[in-house]
Amino acid sequence: MKILDVQDLKTYYSTLKGDVKAVDDVWLQMDRGEALGLVGESGCGKTTLALAIMRLLPWNGRIVEGKIRLDDVDIISLDEKTFDKDYRWKRMSYIFQGAMNALNPVFKVGDQIAEAITIHEDVEKKEALERARELFKLVGIDPERVTSYPHELSGGMKQRAMIAMALACNPDFIIADEPTTALDVIVQAQTLKVINDLQKNLGLTMMLITHDLSVVAQTCTTCAIMYAGNIVEYSDIETIFKDPVHPYTRALISAFPSIKEDRREMKSIAGVPPNLLNPPTGCRFNPRCPNRMDVCNKEKPEYTELNENHLAACHLLTKEA
Amino acid sequence: MNGEAELKVVNLRKWFPVRKGIVSTLLSRKTEYVRAVDDVSFEVKKGEIFGLAGESGCGKTTTGKTILRLLEPTSGEVYFEGRNITSLNKVEMKKMRRKMQIVYQDPYQSINPRMTVFDIISEPISVHKLADSLAETEEVVYKSLEEVELVPAEDFVERFPHELSGGQRQRVAIARTMVLQPSFIVADEPISMLDVSIRAGILKVMLKTKEAQGITYIFITHDLAYARHICHRGAIMYLGKIVEMASMDNLVKNPIHPYTNALMIAVPVPDPTYEKARAIIGGEVPTPINPPPGCRFNPRCSKASEICRREDPELLEMGTRHFVACHHAI
Repeated sequence: MKILDVQDLKTYYSTLKGDVKAVDDVWLQMDRGEALGLVGESGCGKTTLALAIMRLLPWNGRIVEGKIRLDDVDIISLDEKTFDKDYRWKRMSYIFQGAMNALNPVFKVGDQIAEAITIHEDVEKKEALERARELFKLVGIDPERVTSYPHELSGGMKQRAMIAMALACNPDFIIADEPTTALDVIVQAQTLKVINDLQKNLGLTMMLITHDLSVVAQTCTTCAIMYAGNIVEYSDIETIFKDPVHPYTRALISAFPSIKEDRREMKSIAGVPPNLLNPPTGCRFNPRCPNRMDVCNKEKPEYTELNENHLAACHLLTKEA
Repeated sequence: MNGEAELKVVNLRKWFPVRKGIVSTLLSRKTEYVRAVDDVSFEVKKGEIFGLAGESGCGKTTTGKTILRLLEPTSGEVYFEGRNITSLNKVEMKKMRRKMQIVYQDPYQSINPRMTVFDIISEPISVHKLADSLAETEEVVYKSLEEVELVPAEDFVERFPHELSGGQRQRVAIARTMVLQPSFIVADEPISMLDVSIRAGILKVMLKTKEAQGITYIFITHDLAYARHICHRGAIMYLGKIVEMASMDNLVKNPIHPYTNALMIAVPVPDPTYEKARAIIGGEVPTPINPPPGCRFNPRCSKASEICRREDPELLEMGTRHFVACHHAI
């Protein structure tokens, strides 16, 4: 049984100009213990997908259709009270983008973590604080720092404190949204190591949202490439880098510089990502695609299963078959 | 890229006084300083792309701005085309500014949201009185838009910044810089706000004009993977000082300073088969207000010894044009 099963999910934002189709017909499944990298450029819908899973969409966002199941329970149709009590932060947790600024500056970090615990579980504050100290140890911060205020912690420590908070109620499914984007390279490496170790040691299922392919390459076991509201390719991490089949995946990988390569000219993808108010018809990548065919702007490509665990949605694949 | 140095920075310092409350100002005699740039010297040859890299707060942006005298240096000299620009007066400096330009990181902040693209690009032309007539201004603006590949230019001149994407805005910012035909540009993280898929396009328009005009660049970045592919030479900064300076190839493949080495190990590689970084150094960059005595990296350095805590190492040449400031490199 898959821990996460997203089927035909559509999530739109209503605006004065019409609906922004941020997530459109998304399919995604995750096995227990999987570390999935959800990769895409800004505005491709990766954060919206995560917010839909957490049922934390802003007021103008709504799930239009589709299913999200967590351990076979349809979490969209649960009433808010049950979801809040038994799922959000308890079974599944979310590390926000720019999380280090998400701490409340006027409360001690330990108290903030303890608060999250006391709200969800029937424990005394003292015990909750003790748990906060344990969590600090887990993410590699001196437990004595629970009495610090956020401004007394460095950026990297704040980020770890946020990771500790996400783990407060022992969830088994975690979404980390750009957890290292604002960090410097050395602190990023330290934080990724913490996340990596936790994911393995606690057997967490993790969705890591990022635009940075190199972070995914070093942290995840599988990878889903998202473009303009669709997941265009999904595979285990080695295959994505070795045999990418979708032209967008290929272009993205070759646009990404590696410090290990010799000096080369950088490649870019022509054009810009589409406006999701009026996304292109057919395959949404077709206006920028170097391999565009006649069919591409007419029909939306279906997923082709290239291998067990390797799916891509591109007309090139069906043509060859 | 011949031998002559287009830009020479000598012992450049920029210290910012720390503002304190009135009581502590009255009580204490000593003013504290943030030593953002502390005794930095380097040369950039004509047509070279010189990278200034390091973590946030290392002083790379302050160095760039001080070189252009957008910030007045506390001490030290900057020579551009043989002239000491730190001693120029306002009028002379304004003339010099035409040749020395900057491209900022954030195109959402660096261009005026209430001006049209035409006004944005034509403003420097009128400031420096480079055109005699409106027709001539128009011609220059259109040509510069074509150079940054915003075509057809007629479609863009009347637009406001909010009608442009991030990449298009950065192209406008580059066009505004290029109309002055500068010979030296400080590019301060020009692509870090942009999506991966369009970054190379922005770099291309910057460097294409470089080849045409032989522009010298200082490329400020925190992203070593990009620096590796863009820059010819580079310097790694830590807490206001250059710790290592060499060709980009040498910095990446043969780093000598322990800090450079730590940085290179920490850079993630977009290849899942590549062995993950193991020996990541601990700690974070301390505040530059009271930097550690001796070598500033010594509290985090595995090789640190007695002398490192006592004496500040000098930046010395260890190989051909490979400079390192480390007591243990000798």
